[in-house]
Amino acid sequence: MNNIPIRLTINGEAYALEVPPHRTLLQLLKGGLHLDGVKEGCGIGECGACTVIVDDAPVNACLILAAECDGAVIRTPESETQDGVLSDLQQAFIDFGAIQCGFCTAGMLSSARALLDRNRNPSRVEIAEAIAGNYCRCTGYQPIIDAIAAVAAARDHGGYQASPVPPGPYVGGSTKRIDGPAKVTGSAQFVHDMVLPGMLYARIKTSPHPAARILKIDTAKARQMPGVRAVLVGADLPYKLGLYMVDKDILARGQVRHQGEAVAAVAALSIEEAEAAVDAIEVTYEETPAVLDVGTALKDGAPQVHPDLASYSFMKGVFFPAPGRNIAHHQKIRKGDVAKGFAQAARVFEHSFENPPVQHVPMETHAAIAQALPTGEVDIITSAQSPFTVRSLFCHTFKLPLQKVRVRVPYVGGGFGGKAGIHLEPLVYCLSKAAGGRPVKIIATREEEFNTLPSRQGLSSRIKTGVKSDGQITAMEIEYLWDAGAYADYGVNIGRAAAYSGAGPYVVPSCKLDSKVVYTNKIYGTAYRGFGHLEVLWGIERNLDIIARAMNIDPYVLRQRNLLRVGETTITGEEFTTGHGRPEECLRLVAKAIGWEPAARAPAPIKPGSGKVRGKGLAMLHKAPAMPTYTSCSVVIKLEPDASATLLVSGIDYGQGTYTTLAQIAADALTIPIDRVHVPWEADTQFTPYDWQTVASRFTVMGGNAVIEAARDCLAQIRKTAAAALGVDPEALVIERGRVFVPGKADAGLDFKQLAVGYTFPNGNSIGGPVIGHGRYIAHGLTNLDPETGQGRPALNWTYGAHGVEVEVDTDTGEVRLLRIASAFDPGKVLNEQQCRTQVIGGVVQGLGSAVAEKFVFANGRLLNNSFVDYKIPTAKDVPGEMQQFFVETPHPEGPHGARGIAEHPMISVPSAIGNAVANATGVEIMTLPLDPEAVYLALKRAAR
Amino acid sequence: MHDLHYERPRTTAEACGLLAAAKGRAMILAGGTDLQIRLRDQPRAGLIVDIKKIPELCSIRPGAAGALEIGSAVTLRALIDDPTVGAAFPALALAALAVGSFQVRGRATLGGNLCNASPCMDTAPVLLLLGASLRLQSARGSRELPLTRFFTGVKRTLLEPDELCTTILIPAAARRLVTAFGKVKRVQGHDLALVNAAVSLDPEAETLGAAIGSAATTPVVCEPLTGVSSRSPDAALLGDALAGAALKVIQPIDDVRASAEYRRDMTAMLCRRLVREVVSGRRAS
Repeated sequence: MNNIPIRLTINGEAYALEVPPHRTLLQLLKGGLHLDGVKEGCGIGECGACTVIVDDAPVNACLILAAECDGAVIRTPESETQDGVLSDLQQAFIDFGAIQCGFCTAGMLSSARALLDRNRNPSRVEIAEAIAGNYCRCTGYQPIIDAIAAVAAARDHGGYQASPVPPGPYVGGSTKRIDGPAKVTGSAQFVHDMVLPGMLYARIKTSPHPAARILKIDTAKARQMPGVRAVLVGADLPYKLGLYMVDKDILARGQVRHQGEAVAAVAALSIEEAEAAVDAIEVTYEETPAVLDVGTALKDGAPQVHPDLASYSFMKGVFFPAPGRNIAHHQKIRKGDVAKGFAQAARVFEHSFENPPVQHVPMETHAAIAQALPTGEVDIITSAQSPFTVRSLFCHTFKLPLQKVRVRVPYVGGGFGGKAGIHLEPLVYCLSKAAGGRPVKIIATREEEFNTLPSRQGLSSRIKTGVKSDGQITAMEIEYLWDAGAYADYGVNIGRAAAYSGAGPYVVPSCKLDSKVVYTNKIYGTAYRGFGHLEVLWGIERNLDIIARAMNIDPYVLRQRNLLRVGETTITGEEFTTGHGRPEECLRLVAKAIGWEPAARAPAPIKPGSGKVRGKGLAMLHKAPAMPTYTSCSVVIKLEPDASATLLVSGIDYGQGTYTTLAQIAADALTIPIDRVHVPWEADTQFTPYDWQTVASRFTVMGGNAVIEAARDCLAQIRKTAAAALGVDPEALVIERGRVFVPGKADAGLDFKQLAVGYTFPNGNSIGGPVIGHGRYIAHGLTNLDPETGQGRPALNWTYGAHGVEVEVDTDTGEVRLLRIASAFDPGKVLNEQQCRTQVIGGVVQGLGSAVAEKFVFANGRLLNNSFVDYKIPTAKDVPGEMQQFFVETPHPEGPHGARGIAEHPMISVPSAIGNAVANATGVEIMTLPLDPEAVYLALKRAAR
Repeated sequence: MHDLHYERPRTTAEACGLLAAAKGRAMILAGGTDLQIRLRDQPRAGLIVDIKKIPELCSIRPGAAGALEIGSAVTLRALIDDPTVGAAFPALALAALAVGSFQVRGRATLGGNLCNASPCMDTAPVLLLLGASLRLQSARGSRELPLTRFFTGVKRTLLEPDELCTTILIPAAARRLVTAFGKVKRVQGHDLALVNAAVSLDPEAETLGAAIGSAATTPVVCEPLTGVSSRSPDAALLGDALAGAALKVIQPIDDVRASAEYRRDMTAMLCRRLVREVVSGRRAS
């Protein structure tokens, strides 16, 4: 090694080090010095997660060699906290809800600190410019800009003061995130940050071809490389994986089905040695005909992506694959008489729409560590959305008893559905086994996150609608063709869930809907925030606007006329009740907020080069949790001797804030202050109680109900012991503020502290024992859908909402700017107002990405944009000018405090509202997402011909 | 495993000596925002010559005959913040501001942006119209090359393996030009140019020129319009004419970022938009 001596100062400490020439500053800070507040998000200077301050300038630590830093003064986010006191910025980030998953937080703080150091009074534009190089996928940036602006504004007024802690009762207030301090200080440990003794590092070899037979894999050279401890190929791993449809290989066996699919893997002493060995593996392929679109896949005689589909196991009675036809699942919905419905219509419309596959882009890529212990037990630490689902699928694949496998999930840097199910865990387990039981870790590179891990499925929609002259819908015939990609283990359920939601929140007396999940040789799809709903509602909501314009009916009126209302039924026959919520009120609120004018008419198509034009648009949305009928959730509350409460859950808070909400519910139910409730962040199948998965906006509802039941259980135990201690009837006691007493005799009562682990009489006799409450929740009354008609009750609760937007279209370039957006939802009960608002802001900005920027670009099945260079997501400079949030609170009879889920919903229908606004601004109807500058420009150009 | 070495010379002569001795196996490290990505993806072998500690490469200073000399290792941030550049060549500062994120501009250098020779580099179109030249130095000697001759292809230039670009020279005559810069990209945040362009009006010579990036294998300069009176110019007419001239010299392709058709149309659009700016003296929003 040609090491270079360097001297530098990091966070005030002097270091004299020797570094190899290729070592980056990021590798030095994280790997060498364990300053793990610094994160790696892309490795190419695009995402800013690794931003640190070098000689007063914010820099991407991944783009700097450690050798270049000789003599430098470096500050990492760890330097923000002084003597255990949070800095002004750290405190403001917590106060303004500027943190969700926490993975971008450290880099964001560095950019913000450097800005405040050089600019005493930055404007919001300057703040946005300063942090635009830091991607955040959760918050929508606005809360971050607010936090930085507040710190700057307070400078001349005595400095930033923490906002007051909201008092109890906590439900309905804006309790600050309980994970805030861990995330702003960088002490929250993600799988990315973790190193175990003796740990090996894994890298994978991926296929350059979308479809090919693997003729030979030569690993001889790789096995001889320095540091290599295990090399695996598909032939070594005769297993299939999957959630609903067990169709995935761990490493491709014999046949690759998409470009980027893993075909071989190496575990070595270092990442570099593993990479070198992967490069030395030689794979001989024979390309086979690739099926690259759903149309081709469905043709008679099309090459079959899974010739053995008939032999796969899958969830029977719920999914209906069609072997020999590339169909992983066909969901049918049949209601009423479509032919009769169309006959009753004054006009019948037919439109087609397209959604491209896109990526979730969690700031933390997938990461997992596994160790095959000599006892036959398995220890897994993973960046996943459910430890229990990883465990159950893992054990199913390897035929292991559940108690032999322990799965832990620490802090997770965003998931958005992409970390549901099972991903890299089996591979690292097999490598660990092959390497004699040493723990093996894999971190997906950003390129692998795009190319090897799953995406959102593409969708082609065909919607036929019969409408009476007053705008009332009589019938719809809909076909959804999902481009599942190479595997559909999760994707089949998107085809199912988006089908039962697939006509929108409207009364459709007659409906024939076919939703087909189609295999192709592309990157495979999985759950992504909203689970098919953003996709189908792109078509449904654009379709309604096009019909409204054609019939000269105000799109607002057309929607109000057809919205679901009490007494009507959904397309699966579920009756709409008062407990469902008020979609019509959501629509009214957003229309009013954006100044929707009934007379707003789209102009004749506007030519490119006509300068900037503006337009407004509306769109509705709905979604219910998409999950098996039997999913359940449980919670344990332990009272500690000091009467504080430990709340054990296995749902994952990967940024959405559910643990804070559950702590609020628990504190109120137990009548104790919220700072007396502790929620441990590591979910662990060995210690925390069962929960199916954290997906589908179900955790607050199911977990909240379980917390209420667990708290009641605790109080019953407290009451019983207190009654015996006080010699009164348990029913005679009341509980207030952590104290049990007979009404009117509070002084003679007992504190929880005297009861939490048992009560001791003055003579030493003791009764009771430690208070441990448990609570559970399982959805009631759900049914599988009828295989032929799709009729049944699939959904625990529906959340309705609407967006109203105003856009500006630059007809010179095709660029669409979202000037403002008003969003309204009926979450039943706002449990934490700040979290609801920030969830909406973050979801809206993520939806903006789907609307105007994000898409996979393929050439012959090969992904051309597998990095942040050419897959663009919104930055702080792309944030809408004005964002408003409204909440209608119609209690759900089964929700905790009446609440429904609201996590996914903000993203849904953002593209639809923007698409409608673009049509209203330009007179041009665009049917394909995204509305990126080129697409909009060319649409105007074509329309002008 | 790695045969990689790192040197940090203190003078240009020392740097040139290292380059000569490396016999083509040297990589010049300025800001590193491009080199670091190459190091990540390619076998790591050779000599890294870090030029950031050579004082003369890091300064902006007056040169001979009223020229402005910009050291090749001057960061884009320093260029943007430099009052002389801001006053004399505001379009150059704007072009530098269009590169990457705040973090990247704090590291990336003007010399690096040019020598990396990506077709979509943002600083080249303005410099081409300003008549900039490069001073290239090696152990063999020093030469000056007009920027118009420097680029030979995608990531290819006339820079020899033993040469170091030390200085970007902007001639005194460039000060009288009215120049504007524009860029079309996919998001408001940092992005590579789908097309970028500069347009420049020479009130003395009565010419109007354009340079376009990201629409051929190298940035291209079109044949300037002549006889352009700056007294009562017709911006619309001139814009059309300049767009026509630009379309003759670009050779855009379809790629992951944009289609050739969009690049052609945006080239014409930028020409028209930037002509309005230079004629009116106002930046279009």
